[in-house]
Amino acid sequence: MGTIDLDQGDPDFVKELAGQSGGQIRACFTCRTCVASCPISAINREFNPAKIIRMALYGLKEEILKSAFIWLCTTCYACQERCPQGVSITDFMTHLKNMAIKEGHAPPGIRAQLKLVKGEGRIYPIDDFDNKKRNKAGLPPLPTSCDAIKELFL
Amino acid sequence: MTDVGRHPKITLHTLSEVVDVKGYVGNFHVNILKRARYVDEKECTACGDCATVCPVVRPDEFNLGLSSRRAIFTPFPQAVPSSYVINVNECLGHNPVVCAKCIEACDKDCIDFHMSDKEIVEDVGSIVVATGLEVYDPTELDEYAYARFENVLTSLEFERLINAGGPTEGEVLRPTDLQRPRSVGFVQCVGSRSAKKGGTYCSNVCCMNTIKSTLMLKEHYPDIDIKVFYIDIRAFGKGFEDLYMRSRRSGVHYLRALPGTVEEDPDKGLKVSIENTATGKLETHQLDMLVLALGIKPASSTQRLQEMLGLQLTPDGFFLEAHPKLLPVDAATRGVFYAGCAEGPKDIKESVTQASAAAARAIRLMHRGEITTEPITSMVVEEHCKSCGKCAEVCPYNAIKVDVKRKTPAVVNTAACAGCGTCAAECPFGAIIMNHFTDEQILNQVHALLEQTPKEKILAFACNWCSYAGADYAGVSRLQYPPNVRLIRTMCSGRVDEKFIWDGFLKGAPVILVSGCHIGDCHYIDANHWTEKRIKKIHKKMSKLGIRPERLQLEWISAAEGVRFAKVMQRMEVLREGVTLEEIAETIEILKG
Repeated sequence: MGTIDLDQGDPDFVKELAGQSGGQIRACFTCRTCVASCPISAINREFNPAKIIRMALYGLKEEILKSAFIWLCTTCYACQERCPQGVSITDFMTHLKNMAIKEGHAPPGIRAQLKLVKGEGRIYPIDDFDNKKRNKAGLPPLPTSCDAIKELFL
Repeated sequence: MTDVGRHPKITLHTLSEVVDVKGYVGNFHVNILKRARYVDEKECTACGDCATVCPVVRPDEFNLGLSSRRAIFTPFPQAVPSSYVINVNECLGHNPVVCAKCIEACDKDCIDFHMSDKEIVEDVGSIVVATGLEVYDPTELDEYAYARFENVLTSLEFERLINAGGPTEGEVLRPTDLQRPRSVGFVQCVGSRSAKKGGTYCSNVCCMNTIKSTLMLKEHYPDIDIKVFYIDIRAFGKGFEDLYMRSRRSGVHYLRALPGTVEEDPDKGLKVSIENTATGKLETHQLDMLVLALGIKPASSTQRLQEMLGLQLTPDGFFLEAHPKLLPVDAATRGVFYAGCAEGPKDIKESVTQASAAAARAIRLMHRGEITTEPITSMVVEEHCKSCGKCAEVCPYNAIKVDVKRKTPAVVNTAACAGCGTCAAECPFGAIIMNHFTDEQILNQVHALLEQTPKEKILAFACNWCSYAGADYAGVSRLQYPPNVRLIRTMCSGRVDEKFIWDGFLKGAPVILVSGCHIGDCHYIDANHWTEKRIKKIHKKMSKLGIRPERLQLEWISAAEGVRFAKVMQRMEVLREGVTLEEIAETIEILKG
């Protein structure tokens, strides 16, 4: 366990979060119901919702947004459902992911997926190879491009 | 309890329900519905012969279903009166003769199926509300699996198990295999301190109850493994910390964490997952039994009683005392007092303290045979009264009676009147005189304050209990606020009559402020609701007349909000500066016309 340098923290981060979705994290009284409920925490100790909330309260904005762990949340909502203090933990995690993307901290895998969705409308683009296989299986072909997505992101 | 049953001056109505309460301090008429017991309580010796022959077996409510009782039963051995009772919905009955075995068994002939419910009226001088509490139902907290696994118990069920008079005679046994558990876990704050499920408040008794339970378990079975899952242990009372220390020293593990999940083994053991705050690690604890420390919630009858007696509730649903520090056992309605958990979660000691205080308060009020009231009460001028009933509608104390149909003038009960003056403000005919705060007195103040250079003045109405005290607090705190504010004190903001406002504007007031206690904090139950309604009405009229509604402001300022008072006054000053002499002259013209 390392030490936390509180001088590194951004004291305005909590205020900045307060108006955002899931940003009411000051209510957390560290009962750790969220961690004990989390299916990710059970297999990967990198992900710990109570710790992320604590880091946010200390204002460790950069450290959170640059981290890989915020991308581990599967948004199963177990923590949010059980939080006795009504902290919208899952919404908060989603908000952190959005912030990370805005500030250009998304990991390469996520960025590649984003590019695909923006360009093709799908994470897995369909090409003639796929349609041939579908044809063999007696399935109708799927469109290979999705123009509607361009309007969506305009 | 037995002493109460025997006392010559105490009448105990059991199986009874208060249906209606009328009257006021010193003269309450209480309508009571007394349910039939079907057993003569004076003759019954509680020998129990009837219960042995009764064929109807039902779960015993007192033991929370952990044992059974018959349809004729006594709730628990120490129940007062010491007499059996028949649950008529369970009894097989005798007509046509179906059963009636108990009648045959009773040597003293005290069972009577012909008894019926009775309505009783009691005239009393004061009322102590001690309607108690209910416990939180943990079924909705599915992560603790109370409804799914038999070995998850509530703190009440556990209490019956470890009680020597309980169904197992004090032997703690697992419900699934009736074996003694080798390990027991306790989960704290079940239905307490939760924004979503149960109450947001601390239930006050569960920490110490759990600590007591752990000590009893350790006394019974020194080798038992006990784990307590908690957020904070609140051992704040006299001797409480000592007890907590004893529990820890006896080897009870206190783990700071609430469980996320509870799972069951094939052998009916429980696996409880937590993240331990001390170690920062996820831990799974194997336990034979899990006890949920249930929170306290208000009794379900609270709201009905509140309506009957004209009482107030806190947002939690418990009864609200007249003052949180200085009148902690009095209700805002005179002659009504609180004792025990009806007023808020508390333990036995605190309940006894409050009950003693409530009894003493009631005696102090009643012993002289007469009461002293404030002279600030309202008076009806009969010849002006048109019996419209508006005053009776707004009175928070139901102190005014008007027969709208028969057109008899309103009558004020001065013993019940608390003096807010809302009736006088609402009366469209000027038929109510509010003693010490008459229309004339207040209008004279308005005129005097606006006599010279009204354009420079800020006219402010402040209620006695909150806003005027807030002004006082601003003063003693040496806070700066505009010196041209002119305050007029009323007992309640509800006293501020529409005509005071119009008169103020007519006399050239640039801006007027009405201020009172925050909604919910009104010292006259809810009289400030009427203030709010009235101001809204005046605002509408102002817009219609072409007077800027911003010139009349309504603000809630509490006695502790000196800073807020100063800020509001500074804002009023900014508003005042925005009103020109032409605008004032125009307003006067409009109002004259």
